[in-house]
Amino acid sequence: MSIDPEMLMAYADGELSPLEARRVERAIAADPALGEEVARHRALRARLSGHFAPVAEEPVPDRLAALLRSNSNVVALPVRKPARRIPGWTRWGGAIAASLVLGLFIGQGLQDPGVVRTHGGQLYAAGTLAGALDQQLASNAGAVQVPISFRDARGSYCRVFTSATADGIACRDSQGWALRQTRAGSSAAKTDYAQAGSTDPALMAAAQEMMAGDPLDAGAEAKAKASGWK
Amino acid sequence: MAAFEDDLLALLPRLRRFARALARNAADADDLCQVALEKALVGRASWQPGTRMDSWMYRIMRNSWIDTTRSRARAAQTFVDPDAGLGIGADGGAEARVALGEIDAALHTLPDEQREAVALVLIEGLAYKEAAEILDIPMGTLTSRLVRGRQALMAQLGEAA
Repeated sequence: MSIDPEMLMAYADGELSPLEARRVERAIAADPALGEEVARHRALRARLSGHFAPVAEEPVPDRLAALLRSNSNVVALPVRKPARRIPGWTRWGGAIAASLVLGLFIGQGLQDPGVVRTHGGQLYAAGTLAGALDQQLASNAGAVQVPISFRDARGSYCRVFTSATADGIACRDSQGWALRQTRAGSSAAKTDYAQAGSTDPALMAAAQEMMAGDPLDAGAEAKAKASGWK
Repeated sequence: MAAFEDDLLALLPRLRRFARALARNAADADDLCQVALEKALVGRASWQPGTRMDSWMYRIMRNSWIDTTRSRARAAQTFVDPDAGLGIGADGGAEARVALGEIDAALHTLPDEQREAVALVLIEGLAYKEAAEILDIPMGTLTSRLVRGRQALMAQLGEAA
């Protein structure tokens, strides 16, 4: 069965139904070149969204904001500040982050709170999350998806993950998968008929910043997995 | 009621990012934002509360951009040979092109119809269905433009393993 380029791209973007996705996965299993193409699609998305993400973080020019303020018929009502696109989680200190992240995992009704643990004040992935980070390749579908893997400046392997409960970036150290970035899950709102959608551009931008070199392609990812991400 | 303006203001960072992917440089992108915002304020009656304002604004911006490029192309044709090259006639075009990074330069080699598809899906993170609705094209047309645009970018940016 042949997989056309559009279908492979739609698979990389999480746009296929589970049935179609399984077809593509079977084809990938038979032809590793297809898996590499999927990784290339995802790497391109990460690169583009990372490149443009800073534009949305720039302060809005006064002339544009003034256009909206002056048009208001209500005089002297202060305009509410625009909601920040990226919440302050990127800058939270450890303790606050820890409590918020735990709240995020537990507060969203996850039955199994054992997907995070702490070690020496650092949050680590545990349970199913740690399992997915250890085992899952970018081309695999599942409750947790791991679309991008890369090495950070210190040479550690890091992986971007998305799930219904939380999205984030985890980096491998001697104690396990240290959680570097976490935020509310992006795939929670998706229907049963759609796979997890595109990864949050802000998360991709954060990954881009941490990345030394390019994201791992399918071959390098498989090799890293085989060596236990060390 | 300032809620409409507030919502637009909250969207503005994303609109600026979309404009940056469409236009050739930051100054043109903010001009495009201004035109689109003015149109949105004038046309606010066509906004249906409860529907997605981001899709509505992306559509206004994209249509404004088409209008701008068409009128600019007409103006350019009266003065220069169309084969003389893209970018001629735009103020500071040469400097802007020098300042363009590798990714911007690659994006601008794409035909407009591919670039707008790439911008909505890969940069703005919209689902295919949402992007197709904004561009007012069938899903099949969107995916074929998207796949061609991406393959061209991968070839240029050396994304090949």
